[in-house]
Amino acid sequence: MSSNMIMLKSSDGASFEIEEAAARKSKIIANMIEVECVDEDKAIPLQNVTGNILALVIEYCNKHIVDDDDDVATEEASEEEEEAKKKKVDDWEAEFMNSMSLETMFELLLAANYLNIKSLIDLVCQTIANNIKDKTPEEVRKIFSIENDFTPEEEEEIRKENAWAFG
Amino acid sequence: MNRVENSDSIPTDLFLEIFSRLPAKSIGRFRCVSNQWRSMLHSPDFTDLFFTKSSARPRLLFGVEQDGECFFFSSPQPKSSSLDFHTKFVSEYSVSYCCGLIYLRNMWIQKENKEAERVICNPITGQYTILPELKANLDGYSYLGFDPIDKQFKLLVMNTRGYIANSESVHQILTLGSGNMKWRNVQCPFTHEPFHERIYINGVLYYLAQCFDVDGTSFYVIVCFDVRSEEFKFIDIRGFCYGATKLVNYKGKLGAINYYSGMRNLKLHMWVLENVEKQEWLKFVYTFPDSEVVDSCDLCVAGVTATGEIVLSMKFTSKRFYVFYFNPERNTLQPVQIHGNNQVLEKKSRVFAFVDHVEDLKFDIMCAATSISPPEQTSTSTSIDHQNEKAITEEVANGSLYKEADKVISGRLFRGSGCLKGTAITAVVVAATGAVAAVFLSSNPEATTELINLVDSYANVIITTLKN
Repeated sequence: MSSNMIMLKSSDGASFEIEEAAARKSKIIANMIEVECVDEDKAIPLQNVTGNILALVIEYCNKHIVDDDDDVATEEASEEEEEAKKKKVDDWEAEFMNSMSLETMFELLLAANYLNIKSLIDLVCQTIANNIKDKTPEEVRKIFSIENDFTPEEEEEIRKENAWAFG
Repeated sequence: MNRVENSDSIPTDLFLEIFSRLPAKSIGRFRCVSNQWRSMLHSPDFTDLFFTKSSARPRLLFGVEQDGECFFFSSPQPKSSSLDFHTKFVSEYSVSYCCGLIYLRNMWIQKENKEAERVICNPITGQYTILPELKANLDGYSYLGFDPIDKQFKLLVMNTRGYIANSESVHQILTLGSGNMKWRNVQCPFTHEPFHERIYINGVLYYLAQCFDVDGTSFYVIVCFDVRSEEFKFIDIRGFCYGATKLVNYKGKLGAINYYSGMRNLKLHMWVLENVEKQEWLKFVYTFPDSEVVDSCDLCVAGVTATGEIVLSMKFTSKRFYVFYFNPERNTLQPVQIHGNNQVLEKKSRVFAFVDHVEDLKFDIMCAATSISPPEQTSTSTSIDHQNEKAITEEVANGSLYKEADKVISGRLFRGSGCLKGTAITAVVVAATGAVAAVFLSSNPEATTELINLVDSYANVIITTLKN
């Protein structure tokens, strides 16, 4: 694998060097490389992504580029090996997301969405879902600073309508 | 839990992506957050997206019968130990399951009501529709099926006197969903004794039954009812199926499983109908790997998942409640202990399990769900052929797992010729289902009564609508 390196620059001015293959995880960057608007000496400016979030994106991309290489090399791997590998990736992803605050997860989601990295969008959405799935409406309002705009009558009504979800 | 600042800056479609990965119960609760969330989570775009995503994470659905009530629980497949409680109905456990919906033969809208109703319900949200009264007093089994072309559910009620569905008897069928639902007559040209055991696969309802030779001796058959054409066919299964045979959907094909327990070696025979026209069955014989857990459980077959794993469930609730996933290709048996923190589960009660249940927020019986389709048909049949070849050449009789490939039965195929097709009814669409409120899940008895009353008042509206 040729290791063409490219530079990415965050909105707050931090520069990151990343292997082209890893950067291609982002459909946006891959497109830029295709149409050759990437100048080797110049960093690609990413105006919507801060340095700390971009570092996470790059960590994710680097990890998954290695896995993709493995896929090619061991096409005929046995089912057990496949499973073991998948478990390794799952464990890494769980660890990667584990210590992140919900706030950071949303920032990472916005960045993944902006850079169009489908697998990362999936991972973050699922992790956020797991984090909020057991919350009550009151807790959800607190987390997202949402005002309860129901009248007491409306709220009673809608609680009845969805009583099946509170059992 | 930490907070998320500026959640306004997150685009709605990203929020919907997150919500579509939640269990249905979370959606119900989050509809109570604010007006904006309520309308977002009720939008057809979202409920469609939710159904699509939810199809990729099927669940095991459990019906528990206890003291005249039916409780529905579910657990994510595969191999999850968590159990969610969904709904409770005052009903006998006389149910038919098809594509995510449940038919209850006798449900009391209020406990003190004298008369029970026939209803179709969504076991996750508790929404239900009352079916029109059946004038004829039929005692036979009812079977719920789905016509995948016209996307209509149909309910077949067999007219049996002394357990026998006579060739002259007039049975009843109801097409669901249209506002003006009417029972129609349907006849079956064969005299038979229908059994409860049934499975719905791709437009065909199959149920177990018994037929009689001219000399009076009985033999087992599988009745195939084509939901769309409303024609009956019979498959002769004498010699390999009996009253306790479980019918399954094996990767889109009809399968019949005999499970032998009680001995030290737990065995399972599965017959798969390879060729419907020629009536060719393939037989697979599995002996379970030793497992102390299995030995201590009273099990029955729940079904086969879309990925081909055979699921066994304990027959009764228990403090240590297990289901087992048997992978025929690898000969592995994985026990999964399911933990449900619900007092219903503490009392010994009969449990019925259904595989590949997909949570659906909609309750629109006009255009409801289709079942999960198997992953890759072609590769499936290849692998079966391959296994059979191996079984023939190696004669692996001593191994813990062997398979037979004989085309055992090329039996007779009865064809329905004398079917009366009901006259088509004009479909007047009344949004009856939309008016039905969700049901009563509170543990607070007062609230429950209040909710039941509310539901009752909705139900009356519907009955009135239907009568008109």
